[in-house]
Amino acid sequence: MDRENSSPTRPKWRKVAYGGMQPGYDDNYTDDSFLEGMVTNANVVKRDLMKVMRDSVSISQYLCIVVLVGVVWTYTLNSSLSEKSLLLIDASLLMSGFVILLLTEKMLSLNQLLHYLANVAFFTSELYVLAPIYRTLTTSISSDSIWAVTVSLMIIHLFLHDYARSTVHASGTWKNPTLTSCISLNASIVASVFVASRLPSSGYVFAIMLFSLVIFLFAPLVTHCIKKRSFCLHLLFSFVLMAVSLAFVYKLHRVLFFMFLVLLVFVSVVCPYWLIRIQEYKFEINGPWDEAKLCFDVTD
Amino acid sequence: MSRKNLSPSTLKPPSNLPPRSTVAPAPPPSQPGNADGLMGDRERHRILMVCDFFYPNFGGVESHIYCLSQCLLKLGHKVVVLTHAYGNRSGVRYMTHGLRVYYIPWRPFLMQNALPTFYGTLPIMRTILVREKITLVHGHSAFSTLCHEALMHARTMGYKVVFTDHSLYGFADVGSIHMNKVLQFTLADVSQAICVSHTSKENTVLRSGLPPEKVYVVPNAVDTAMFTPAPEIPRSNDEIVIVVVSRLVYRKGADLLVEVIPEVCRLYPHVRFVVGGDGPKRVRLEEMREKHFLQDRVEMLGAIPHSRVRSVLISGHIFLNSSLTEAFCIAILEAASCGLLTVSTRVGGVPEVLPDDMVVLAEPDPVDLVRAIKKAITILPTIDPQDMHKRVKKLYDWHDVARRTEIVYDRAMKCPNQNLLERLGRYLSCGSWAGKLFCLVMIIDFLLFCLLQLVQPANDIEEVPDMVMALGEGSSAGDDIPGQSSR
Repeated sequence: MDRENSSPTRPKWRKVAYGGMQPGYDDNYTDDSFLEGMVTNANVVKRDLMKVMRDSVSISQYLCIVVLVGVVWTYTLNSSLSEKSLLLIDASLLMSGFVILLLTEKMLSLNQLLHYLANVAFFTSELYVLAPIYRTLTTSISSDSIWAVTVSLMIIHLFLHDYARSTVHASGTWKNPTLTSCISLNASIVASVFVASRLPSSGYVFAIMLFSLVIFLFAPLVTHCIKKRSFCLHLLFSFVLMAVSLAFVYKLHRVLFFMFLVLLVFVSVVCPYWLIRIQEYKFEINGPWDEAKLCFDVTD
Repeated sequence: MSRKNLSPSTLKPPSNLPPRSTVAPAPPPSQPGNADGLMGDRERHRILMVCDFFYPNFGGVESHIYCLSQCLLKLGHKVVVLTHAYGNRSGVRYMTHGLRVYYIPWRPFLMQNALPTFYGTLPIMRTILVREKITLVHGHSAFSTLCHEALMHARTMGYKVVFTDHSLYGFADVGSIHMNKVLQFTLADVSQAICVSHTSKENTVLRSGLPPEKVYVVPNAVDTAMFTPAPEIPRSNDEIVIVVVSRLVYRKGADLLVEVIPEVCRLYPHVRFVVGGDGPKRVRLEEMREKHFLQDRVEMLGAIPHSRVRSVLISGHIFLNSSLTEAFCIAILEAASCGLLTVSTRVGGVPEVLPDDMVVLAEPDPVDLVRAIKKAITILPTIDPQDMHKRVKKLYDWHDVARRTEIVYDRAMKCPNQNLLERLGRYLSCGSWAGKLFCLVMIIDFLLFCLLQLVQPANDIEEVPDMVMALGEGSSAGDDIPGQSSR
């Protein structure tokens, strides 16, 4: 350390731990080779603003879907949407979803479709049987707490939602969904149960539950399939959705409309720009102390 | 956690009390040239070793603290160990050569770690520090919460502190970011720090932002008296036994073993494997054994008590270490001390541990590891176990480690005393948010310390008379560190 000019013949320092203290060098000697093995920012990807903005459309799209669900909930709770029209919406959504799946998913066979239909029929009948229970589930709880919990659950849902993939997969491509996406899905379903429990009749409860489940379970799958099929179609679909949801929210409430618009701009313009800006602060450190990565797949 | 519960070391935790007759009060510590004549004109330190991990728990850190303490005792320093209670082992215990161990009644909550309470341990630590007239606190392992708390309190009370880092840590995931911040907090005000290898030093400097000249490299050592090669009996040359002793977990590279063992068995019909250790990956190894019909060539021993590690090691010719991360790796040192040729992955501090002709290194992928084993098998006839043992004996010695640690202590004692305000500046520079938080933590600690001084003045705390071993109590022999076993 501070013996730079001790003796000209002192041996070269070696990066070894054996052999006791190296003659001529203190234990806190820091060689010129110190941190030679450090690599910074090895895996940093340069991001392109346009690409990030295009990718953020998925998020805005899902936001619109959730907002539309909220609109339907509000209209149902106001009783401005009849039971029959709700059921009609359910049926048409289910049908269009199947059609889109059929058109986009090449692997889907008739056999699989029948399997799907049987599942949906089973699920629907079960929901119908359980509807009276849902209706009286929260009668002893005040409406205010229900709204508060529902809103917070929906926020949790949006925060933890897996925007890159869909939690529910087409059969055959089963992969483990992540914990957060499962929590997100469950939060949305609990929120739907809470909303449904404030409705006057079992028919309403059944219709709204079916609606919420169809959207929360299958909408990510359908949008995912569309995106896989063609990105242009995905963009088009998203912009249509945005326009429709903005129109509905505008009809519902001016302030909400304004907030929603700001949110959409924030998600699809401000956030991508922000991400690009903070990229320059990214600092990755790798070196010999890192845990080695195995070059093969480890399956337990 | 990189801590092993199966350490291939055979130093046993002697927990029995030495007979009363061998203990005698020491002369007052204020006299520099004291009676036992061991110290000469050197400064005599009174060191408190703090770590959550100590006997009866077993691992690399535990044996490090024990061996270091024993050697420091022999150098004439006073050493006291502080750890949390293990089961019903609570209170003060004595180990070989009067090493006093405080098991403070503080229950572990996760992986033998005490619950982090920030200030809960302040009163008992202060009492122990005053009682034992400690001059220097030495904390071990970044994973130990007790160590972090002790160092914090010791700095508040104005003691000099030294910290030893035993592990490597990455920078990428949330867990390591948190751990690195905690380490930064502890090391912000540490007098000197010690790492076990140069790679570990680089890692610690990066993680904590300490100036590199404050970080010393003092490696671990091996008790060569315990790990001796098999006595000279002509080994049958037609069979080669490869030994693996490690916990069978991901970080120890158990998955690499699953790929490597069948390939080596296929290439060399006269090679046998002995796998010692247990863990979640044992099932995979057993599956591999059945899939490739290797039941008679791969022996699975399960968990091995540390006392039997040597007997397992000397049954083989080559030691295979497949760790994915390792700060130092005592295991390969112990194998080399037993005269085995080591094949290891080139990770962390492993390349620094042994000279190139005593170990065959490979990248952590199956193909390269098989190549390294091939190379090891070809050079195996040139290896003389007795010679290997002698070389390790020359390269590593706990007494040398203790002497080097002593130098660090001397340097730490020379560090200038700083008041609270000067020290707060260091914490403040740790980060825009974290810095202020750290300052707050330290200020509260200081206020609590002042309160404690009012409630229980230091003069009221009874001081412990020093014990030194009576003459002739094995204080001359160099390699009798392992004490008498109590189990």
